[in-house]
Amino acid sequence: MADTATIGVTDVTPSKKAGGSARRASRRRPRSKPDQPWWFALPALAVFGVFFLLPNLLNFVYPFTNWSAFHADIKFAGLSNFRSVLQDGSMLRDIRITVEYAVLVALFQNGFGLALALLLERDTRFNRFFRAVFFLPVLISALAVGYIFRALLAQDGALNSVLSSLAGHHVDTPWLGSTTWTLVVVTLIHGWKWMGLAMLIYLAGLKSMPTDVLEAARIDGAGSWRTFWSIRFPLLAPAVTFNVTTALIGSMNTFDIVQATTAGGPGSETEVFNIYMFRVFGQGLYAQASAMSLVLFVIVVVLAVPVIVGLRRRENVQ
Amino acid sequence: MRRIASSVAVVCALGLAATACSDATAGGSAAAPTQSVNATASLKGVHLTMWVAQNSVSEPKQVIDAFQKATGATVSTQVIPDPYESNVPTKLASGDKPDLMFWQPTGSTLPFIQPAKNLLPLDNEDWVAKLGKTEQGLGQVDGHRYAAIVTSPAVLGVYYNKDVFKKAGVTKMPGSYDELLATAAKIKSKTGVAPFFEVGGDKWPLQWQVQVQLTDLPQSFWDKLNKNQAKWTDPVVVNAIKKYKTKLLDAGLAQKNYKTATFVDQGKAIMDGSAAMALNVTSLQSEIQATSSTAEMDRKLGFFPISNSSAKALYSPDQTNGVVAFHTGDSKREQAARQFMSFWLGKDYPDYIKANKVVSVEPSVPNPDGLPQTAVAQAKALSTATGVFQVKALTAPDMHLALADMIYGKKTPQQVAQAAEDQFTQVLKARGVSGF
Repeated sequence: MADTATIGVTDVTPSKKAGGSARRASRRRPRSKPDQPWWFALPALAVFGVFFLLPNLLNFVYPFTNWSAFHADIKFAGLSNFRSVLQDGSMLRDIRITVEYAVLVALFQNGFGLALALLLERDTRFNRFFRAVFFLPVLISALAVGYIFRALLAQDGALNSVLSSLAGHHVDTPWLGSTTWTLVVVTLIHGWKWMGLAMLIYLAGLKSMPTDVLEAARIDGAGSWRTFWSIRFPLLAPAVTFNVTTALIGSMNTFDIVQATTAGGPGSETEVFNIYMFRVFGQGLYAQASAMSLVLFVIVVVLAVPVIVGLRRRENVQ
Repeated sequence: MRRIASSVAVVCALGLAATACSDATAGGSAAAPTQSVNATASLKGVHLTMWVAQNSVSEPKQVIDAFQKATGATVSTQVIPDPYESNVPTKLASGDKPDLMFWQPTGSTLPFIQPAKNLLPLDNEDWVAKLGKTEQGLGQVDGHRYAAIVTSPAVLGVYYNKDVFKKAGVTKMPGSYDELLATAAKIKSKTGVAPFFEVGGDKWPLQWQVQVQLTDLPQSFWDKLNKNQAKWTDPVVVNAIKKYKTKLLDAGLAQKNYKTATFVDQGKAIMDGSAAMALNVTSLQSEIQATSSTAEMDRKLGFFPISNSSAKALYSPDQTNGVVAFHTGDSKREQAARQFMSFWLGKDYPDYIKANKVVSVEPSVPNPDGLPQTAVAQAKALSTATGVFQVKALTAPDMHLALADMIYGKKTPQQVAQAAEDQFTQVLKARGVSGF
């Protein structure tokens, strides 16, 4: 259900582009008769319909029903699920936490990714090796990452042991036990896991820069710092758009890393929306969980669209 | 145009498919079978499936082997991953159904699997009369019996370290919650050892200190609560939470790392004497049994029951205690499932409890040898024990989650009670209970 939101919104960027080029293409050449009969597409359409369209459509139906573990039938129930969701005190807190989580992840994932891309930009054998190494966390299961970090950051875990031997006295910081800082720690883990992907996209952006512009800058006497801020970073705008958008949307739909590290604790201060939804689903209140998923979808759309539009506009200005 | 027409057709077809959807757990209701079963009658060629949880995988092994040998039936187990109590209803909703399954035999958890539709009523089975008094009261909902009680419910009480008690000079076990707190204070001042080991890291045991204080509430309170005429925000509940916070946690009667400590740590701490007491259910004993011998446990550990104003225990059934049989529509398999239960609680029961080293649920079958003293003490306390709120309330709120928020200062005792009340009314409203 959580995918709904991602898919719905990520479509916004490409569809704009694809829509535009399709219109242009249709103007250029007259529509030719298709080579295959339309029903050749039926198997693909059926798969699309059953595994994508239908679940997504149902996500707009179930929130208005009384679907739960306790009834044999599913009846229309109006807005009562939304009323329960709104009355529940956890909802506003969890929206705040989810947004904070998303912003922090966007910062860390892009910060780490960009730094790595700049460090490993040149095509040496050393750099190629380390690009692969830094990409590895992207391929590891998010749950595995979460459990590994939980063990490392435990009060009697490896990190505290290392710190103890360095400091010369016993260190037992509860890294995952602070109501203020644990959210930051978890977002750092999230950023660490996905930084390889951001790095790859920034690398692609850096590689595709027109060399003549950079050469002109050099001839004009721009130093590397000046070249970066005035030319290379602005030219990276499309990569920034993509990375920030995917980081924001991906982290708003986060579940696995948080579940494995803190399960929403301590004191519910890392309870992102999907953990909350999972909790309600576990109580057998399926329709109410669907209603929450719809609320999350709306929030993601409301927050992501302006961000995407803003970032796209920034690309055009430059 | 044709393309548009075809896409419209596809969308319409999908729309129709969507509206045709219904809950797959729906089925027919049935009356309790009255004809008796012969526990060892031949069942050649009959295959039964049993769902088990991650922590009950090995529990039915002995009885399955013996049953297969005695009847010729085959029984296979399928593990449903944790959280069991939410994954099972989801799996049932997808149309999957076993013949037998472990399930918490309480009025608050049985409704999750729609017993009237899905389960075989077991009102007239031959094993019902064999069960002990407390066990007989379990496994029922809406006037029908749906679960066989195969092991005795977990007992809630205090596990204590004998050495620490000796050092502190405690000879008389406390007889009420206030005396328990006084004993704790005495232990702290005399020995410096943390009197209680609390488990904020695993959250669920946090509820016990509150539950123990609710034992004086009369049955009429729970009846009213279940009709929405009384609330979880009742002063008795709020004061119990407040007392736990101010008189125990804030008064320094718990160990230093009570916010993050885990259940496994709790077992270790009361065994090595770095904490004096742990208020917990039988699973703590099982956890310690996994790493310590019976002799070692008998040397170091004791158990005493406690309630708000008496020395009585509480009992808390869980998924490992009850077995339900499904209404599958295949009369041969339904009959075989009943036969399996009859075999389990009949002919095989002495061997079963011996193999699993558990106490007996049947007064006519004596406990096996080699049980730790704490287990025997619990079995003794069970006859006068009262149920935890999971037994008395129509649905059990996750009070421990709100309590975990409280120990981090994110909720007041009043807000903890309110969170329980909110969840309670939400679930009962969804269940369509009158008054909600």
